[in-house]
Amino acid sequence: MTHLIVMVFFLAIAFVLIGLLLWATRPPKRIPYPVQDIFELLSQQRHCMRLPFIQHALQPQDTAFLEESGKKALMREIRADRRRIALHYLDQLQQEFETLLEISRAMAVMAPEIAAVEEIERWKLSLVFAMNCAFQRWRLRLGLRPVSGFASISTMATGLVRHLESATASIAENALGG
Amino acid sequence: MSGSLSLLDITWWVTTAAELVLLAVLVWRKALRSYPFFTCYVISILLQSAGMSFLYRQANLNATMVWNIAWGTQAAITIMRSLVLVELTRKIFARYTGIWTLARRSILCVGLCVIVYALAFSRGHSQWVILNMIRGLELALAAVIVAILLFARYYRLPIPSVPRALAMGLCLYSVFYVIDYSLLERGFKGHAELWNFLGLLTFLASLLLWTAAFILHPVQEEETQATSVSPDAYGKLSAAVNLRLYLLNQQLNRIVNSGERRP
Repeated sequence: MTHLIVMVFFLAIAFVLIGLLLWATRPPKRIPYPVQDIFELLSQQRHCMRLPFIQHALQPQDTAFLEESGKKALMREIRADRRRIALHYLDQLQQEFETLLEISRAMAVMAPEIAAVEEIERWKLSLVFAMNCAFQRWRLRLGLRPVSGFASISTMATGLVRHLESATASIAENALGG
Repeated sequence: MSGSLSLLDITWWVTTAAELVLLAVLVWRKALRSYPFFTCYVISILLQSAGMSFLYRQANLNATMVWNIAWGTQAAITIMRSLVLVELTRKIFARYTGIWTLARRSILCVGLCVIVYALAFSRGHSQWVILNMIRGLELALAAVIVAILLFARYYRLPIPSVPRALAMGLCLYSVFYVIDYSLLERGFKGHAELWNFLGLLTFLASLLLWTAAFILHPVQEEETQATSVSPDAYGKLSAAVNLRLYLLNQQLNRIVNSGERRP
């Protein structure tokens, strides 16, 4: 039985490696950003600026007066609409975060040096962001309040910006020094 | 049985011919300067094939001794494969010093973890000790190659065609070696010829992949491709990115703070 388990373990790892190899050798979805594209991306309007409005719209107090005045059906409809908008907002926020990641990758490729700890921190940040985004999406679909989660997503975006800022500062120093 | 053996012999001769063709292509393409470890690896597998062919034809030699020599040389070949991997890693990451600083730690960590894992699962089989060690090393090689390719993909690094083909060939061979050996060790000891045949086929596929890559893609041209921007453009970009990120950061902080104050 132990022999069988060992064999299965080795075979499982081998097949996982084949799968990863095939995935890793696929042509990339997007090409690296040229310098002018990075400028353009950074100048675009940011969705996280709309966070306070979305947070406010998702507060139950904002629509509770409709229930008190006997318009429960309207209240439900408005809340459903707002949840849909919030879901769309989450998609946009995730897209914006991914763009920031793309920019940071492009910067990393050009960077003469990268602080490994900072980079690993950014990996963790992006993983937690992706998980949190998925979690909030499900909360919204189930009709639960995602407000606290929204705040943490925003904090993550701020964290990524801080990492990027520190990386670009170091790159700029090196560029000026060279 | 005799049919299976003759098929094995044919495959062995075809594989040896493919090794010779690959070596000829490497000489024709003047690849020794760009890929010294890979060229040495191809020469070493040719020498191993010739040596083993000679030993197996000596009727007066002890079978266990021949077995030990065969797998001992295989261990040496696996070490050569590791050196080829070092060469490949240098080719992929050499121009990206920043990423390489990070990648080498992660890749080393992956390799060591897999070796420890493989050896931990290989205890208690003293008669198969060399094979177990080689399997551990092959698994680590495959894991490291996959880690390198994943790293390159994450950072959208362009991998030249020849290193890509070499990495794929090495990885596929290593993975199939692990699969073949795991099946042979545990459940298919009576099918050693079949195992050898499958191993040879996998290796033949890798040889064809490498030969095609060296024929179709010029070696020198790939090495001269530039990827970095000029220091002047870079300085301007960095300053602009810094400014925009600073402004974005300020906006985000304001949003978060105002959100917290909201009743």
